[in-house]
Amino acid sequence: MSRPLAEFVDMLRHADVPVSIGEAIDAARTIELLGYEDRSLLKGALSQVMAKTEDEMASFDQCFDDFFKIETNLDLGGNLQEQLGDEGSDNGDGPEGSAPQDALDDLQNDMGPQNGEGGGSGGGSGQCEDQPSAEGQGTPSLIDMLESGDRTALTMAMNEAADEVGLGNIVLSTQRGLFTRRIMEAMGLNDVTQEVRDRRNQGEDESADELDRRLNILFEATRDMVDRQLALTAEGKSLEFRQDVLKKVRLSNIETRDFKIMRDLVRKMAKRLTDMNSRVKKVKNRGHLDIRKTMRRNVAYDGILFETHWKQKEKDRPKVMAVCDVSGSVASVARFLLLFLYSMNEVLPNVRSFAFSGDLGEITDLLKDNGPEEAVPAAIDKYGGRSTDYGRAMQDFKDLVFDEIDNRTTVIILGDGRSNGSDPGTDILKDIKKRAKRVIWLNPERKSLWGSGDSEMDRIAPYCTVADTCNSLNKLELVIRDLLKSN
Amino acid sequence: MSIVDKDPAQAINEIQQRFEKAGYICDRHIATSIYLSQKLDKPILVEGPPGVGKTELAKATAELMDADLVRLQCYEGLDESKALYEWKYGKQLLYTQILKEKLGDLLEDAQGIDASMEKLHGFSDQFFSHDFLEARPLLQALTAENQTVLLIDEIDKSDHEFEAYLLEILSDYQITVPEIGTIKAKHKPVVFLTSNNSREMGDALKRRCLHLYIPFPDADREREIIKARVPEIDEKLRNQLVSFVQQLRTQDLKKLPAVSETIDWARTLMLLHADNLDTEMVRNTLNMLLKFEDDIDNMDSEVPKMVTAALKDARR
Repeated sequence: MSRPLAEFVDMLRHADVPVSIGEAIDAARTIELLGYEDRSLLKGALSQVMAKTEDEMASFDQCFDDFFKIETNLDLGGNLQEQLGDEGSDNGDGPEGSAPQDALDDLQNDMGPQNGEGGGSGGGSGQCEDQPSAEGQGTPSLIDMLESGDRTALTMAMNEAADEVGLGNIVLSTQRGLFTRRIMEAMGLNDVTQEVRDRRNQGEDESADELDRRLNILFEATRDMVDRQLALTAEGKSLEFRQDVLKKVRLSNIETRDFKIMRDLVRKMAKRLTDMNSRVKKVKNRGHLDIRKTMRRNVAYDGILFETHWKQKEKDRPKVMAVCDVSGSVASVARFLLLFLYSMNEVLPNVRSFAFSGDLGEITDLLKDNGPEEAVPAAIDKYGGRSTDYGRAMQDFKDLVFDEIDNRTTVIILGDGRSNGSDPGTDILKDIKKRAKRVIWLNPERKSLWGSGDSEMDRIAPYCTVADTCNSLNKLELVIRDLLKSN
Repeated sequence: MSIVDKDPAQAINEIQQRFEKAGYICDRHIATSIYLSQKLDKPILVEGPPGVGKTELAKATAELMDADLVRLQCYEGLDESKALYEWKYGKQLLYTQILKEKLGDLLEDAQGIDASMEKLHGFSDQFFSHDFLEARPLLQALTAENQTVLLIDEIDKSDHEFEAYLLEILSDYQITVPEIGTIKAKHKPVVFLTSNNSREMGDALKRRCLHLYIPFPDADREREIIKARVPEIDEKLRNQLVSFVQQLRTQDLKKLPAVSETIDWARTLMLLHADNLDTEMVRNTLNMLLKFEDDIDNMDSEVPKMVTAALKDARR
């Protein structure tokens, strides 16, 4: 696999497009087939090979545009470069638009007539054949390269130096200066500055100034390259980083801007959980041989046992009814609890969801018909904002669905159990618990706060199969996993 | 298909043109997908909203390649006995009865139980052989003598287990029947999987496929499609109705009208001998485009505005 492709794959992986090795190989074959000439064709083809969901497709498009804007100097073949060169000048301002070459081009143009044949090979057609030969000659010193304005050699040296210092590891914008300096040093900055000083000492001010000027151009090109690399990797890495943090942080502290990342996390989690659940179900399904039924079925075949019949357990489809408190006291958490409900809806077939602060209402359809970005605020809007009344909510819940609760139903209640002094409706909860398979109460508050003030958790807890604190995603996952395991 | 041996860009253009001739208007992206699937030997997972022509694509490909279309409609509870293979129990039964009758003749020269058993073993393997294997769509596609297009429709409706069954076919074009062994495809079928994304497909499946997303077509493409599918319609009316449908897709609806519905609507308007869109007629035929009572009610007040816009749009 060629180096640019490897880098592109790496970039995609950072940007949350999990390209497998097989897909990378397919991508290599695709490139082999189509070449780099027709970029929109290549983009379309590669997107089909490498991106497998709509979200990934969006990331892919972004990455492709970024990548092929930047990696102009790599051995991608001549035509592409010209094309990219054109495009670069079309929209070419700002750090994104202009490639390092633009700065280096300046250098080259400045050389005017004196750049001679060096300019010829560098003039936009830096083909892959050039590279090995250049390496073969042994690397010329930075001073020589600057003197001759050899663009190809300079960009190559820049890339090598970038590899050497591990530019791919750049994550934070504060590292920019450091990396720029390191790359320059790896290319031989010290020699050049020494040379400039020497010339000044010897009174050759003019040539010293010229060299210094060219060095500055190179410096800017390097900084551009570092900036771009930062734009490439930092975004992806910080996403991973943020995800990690988000899993552990208290739900109430999560900001709105992380909502989307959170949604993905929750969805992955819910999927993992249900996958696990379906495996358990499968094992249970096997059952053992039902001799009587088998015999009866095979009477027609002279008692030869053709069709066996197995005693099977009914396919156990867990029915889940989830009730979510969306009142002011849990407002900061409610969004994520609802988000979780939403994701459960996506992966489990039989989830019915309810929301309340005062009155309680069903939001199953609301979650089903809308994306989470609309559904969650809509649910809060519709049922939130009133003072919490658990007793009333319980009564409503009972009126709505009590008949449908049976011994396969799991009732999950997400709430802090603070009922503003009114009766929390424990007798109804007791009835529900009797009928349901289990009742799980998840409370975003710490246990030490339970029972303090208007918290009714001490009265509620005895009527729940499980009552636990649940204030981070990790915790939520643990609770639900236990729930599915004991299924 | 020999087209794909040509220069890529040319081959893709040619595929596109051939589709057009077959009445399936597709963009370059779709043609690229067909080309790649041939070159990389990969199935195509086609996703997109309902009614954008995912199934049609498979049908058109079959027509274009002059191949048989084997279609497997997925549903919840679909298992390997309905999709892959089943044993012909009746025939097996008949076989044992024949065996029973002939048993005396067969064992005539065998001395003692051991020798008889030995002899019987020779026949028992016959039970699970190709002769008793009932091929279901997937196996049919693999064992077909001619090139086939295998369409696994609405894969998202099937269970996780079934998805796993498919993996062997999708990656190696073969299936393993435990009693017989591995059956390899004589001609690698062109495989399409379609999904409306009612559930997320597994990573293993996605990895084995090219991923093609077909969105709703833009106005130009949709006009072309209508032109190809309802050729008798007047150009002016065609432009008006496409413009109307395009506007409708920007509205907040439970179910957006799909291409197939646009086609139905175009045909309906032809039946009504319409020359121009007018508000009353649109209202009366709105149920061709919208499938929910709520949607129809909500759009009722918007219709005049949208019709005016469509008329204006078509004049340009």
